[in-house]
Amino acid sequence: MNARAELTARECATAPDRPLLMTGNHALAWAARLARPKVVPVYPITPQTPVMEKLTEFQSEGRFDAEIITPESEHSVMAACIPASLAGVRVFTATASQGLLLMHELLHYASGARAPIVMANINRTVASPWAFWPDQTDSLSQRDTGWIQFYSESAQESLDTTIQAFRIAEQVLLPAMISHDAFYVSHALEPVQVPAQEQVDRFLPAYAPAHRLDTGKIESWGNVVTQDMYYRHRQDIEAAMARVPALADDVDREWAQLTGRSHGGALERYRCDGANLVIVTMGSMCGTVREAVDALRDAGQAVGLLKVRLFRPLPVQTLRAALAGVAEVLVLDRNHSPGVGGVLHQELRAALYGIKNAPRVHGYLAGVGGVNVSPENIAGFVRCAQASEPRAESVWAR
Amino acid sequence: MLQIMIQGRGGQGAQTAGDLLAMAFFAAGRQVQAFSSYGGARRGTPVNSYIRVDDRPIRVRCDIDSADAILCFDASLLEGSLLATARADTPIVVNSSRTAADFGRTLPGYRVIPVDGIAISRRNGLGRIVNSALLGAFARALEAPALDVMVRTLNEQAPKLHDENVAACREGYRCIDVQLAGAKNE
Repeated sequence: MNARAELTARECATAPDRPLLMTGNHALAWAARLARPKVVPVYPITPQTPVMEKLTEFQSEGRFDAEIITPESEHSVMAACIPASLAGVRVFTATASQGLLLMHELLHYASGARAPIVMANINRTVASPWAFWPDQTDSLSQRDTGWIQFYSESAQESLDTTIQAFRIAEQVLLPAMISHDAFYVSHALEPVQVPAQEQVDRFLPAYAPAHRLDTGKIESWGNVVTQDMYYRHRQDIEAAMARVPALADDVDREWAQLTGRSHGGALERYRCDGANLVIVTMGSMCGTVREAVDALRDAGQAVGLLKVRLFRPLPVQTLRAALAGVAEVLVLDRNHSPGVGGVLHQELRAALYGIKNAPRVHGYLAGVGGVNVSPENIAGFVRCAQASEPRAESVWAR
Repeated sequence: MLQIMIQGRGGQGAQTAGDLLAMAFFAAGRQVQAFSSYGGARRGTPVNSYIRVDDRPIRVRCDIDSADAILCFDASLLEGSLLATARADTPIVVNSSRTAADFGRTLPGYRVIPVDGIAISRRNGLGRIVNSALLGAFARALEAPALDVMVRTLNEQAPKLHDENVAACREGYRCIDVQLAGAKNE
């Protein structure tokens, strides 16, 4: 048993009222344990593996009553997740980068089958070339697969969001993905408040869908359909997605009443009041932006942060309301879509198109491939944006 | 905020040392963040461990450009990128049998504090596992965390050889205590 494993073994015996030191990945494993899934198919991949290790450790200690399945690839992992979920039980898995890409075909299948699987993804560069740095291109390239997508900034937020994601996914019958950045969150040891099991049980009732695969009941799933049936099915999925932004707000509020911790719902506004420049970003960079915003505010500059927690569905109406009347918006993208630039930049431009008092939107490719972005770098990006005309395409910045 | 860099080669224990140091500061009531980054996850390649310590929750998530203190597991790493994070007053505790005066000649302008971690570890029955000796030395150079907290953390976290790890930590601490007292008297 390694040092961290020993630490956690002792943690279990202690009252959960004081924070415990753990990594972002172990926080995900704790969230999964507290959510009581029945089936966890999973395949190891750097930097996700500690999630899997911790879950198997919980299971061997008799603290995690799930069937852990270890198939030969991530494609088979998702192929195991879908029928397990359709059989009417809660399902959790975790992956990263290449593993997520290997699941791609079945990610579409999962949302089409309305399987509310919850999956953690550790944002890591995609090959080629091979690397392990934080970069969100892996999950952003899955944006059209019909999965709800959350991006988290800290171990605490990852734990809380995973539990919230089960509530949301199971209400709308769509799968949900929670992503956090490699190393800066996945491998960062930091204080985490672990909620009590009875708190989570109260928040997250047992999953009991109206329809499930049941040999005693005649229903059909995944059949060949007519054009009209397919069309209506996609409309149903869209209607389910449309419920998610408000649900994300409600569920976060309810979580705050229960635990005292809120993460802002679909979007978090940090020091945006009266801001003439708002930085918009996702994931771990939000923490660094907070430091930059505080320093700029201290220097008399009205700068704020709008953190996008929920990226799919993109909370378009809330974004439009939050940014209307702001003079300048600076989007920081830790991802790269060749030929487009920054995914969030382009989606935000589309979301804001046509509003009155539309801001000038600057898009910077910052931190792509894990390139370091410090608070000083961010202050420099702000100066640069303030001194230049926005461009339609994203700009490389470091 | 106190910002600390630990650098070693894959397999030497820099990541574990960073975690242990963060656990000790946390046990002393401080807020901490510790994370590592490594290029190839291979033995022998440089591994950086970053530790931040503060009295309020730590939000910043980036590498450390300017370290308040450095712990280096291998003197061959004391060059370019690691030294670029050091200021003139940054204590650099390095695992080496060379003397402070020797480093003063080869690396002028840096505050290098050598400790022979391997010799201490061998004397205490730990072979080439130098974490505990180096953490004791580093705690003395930093004057934090307190030796008893560092020792308690090692005792709790060591998977085996508890007494040996505690003894190596104390010897590392004493070693730097004597060295710094000597430097003061000169």
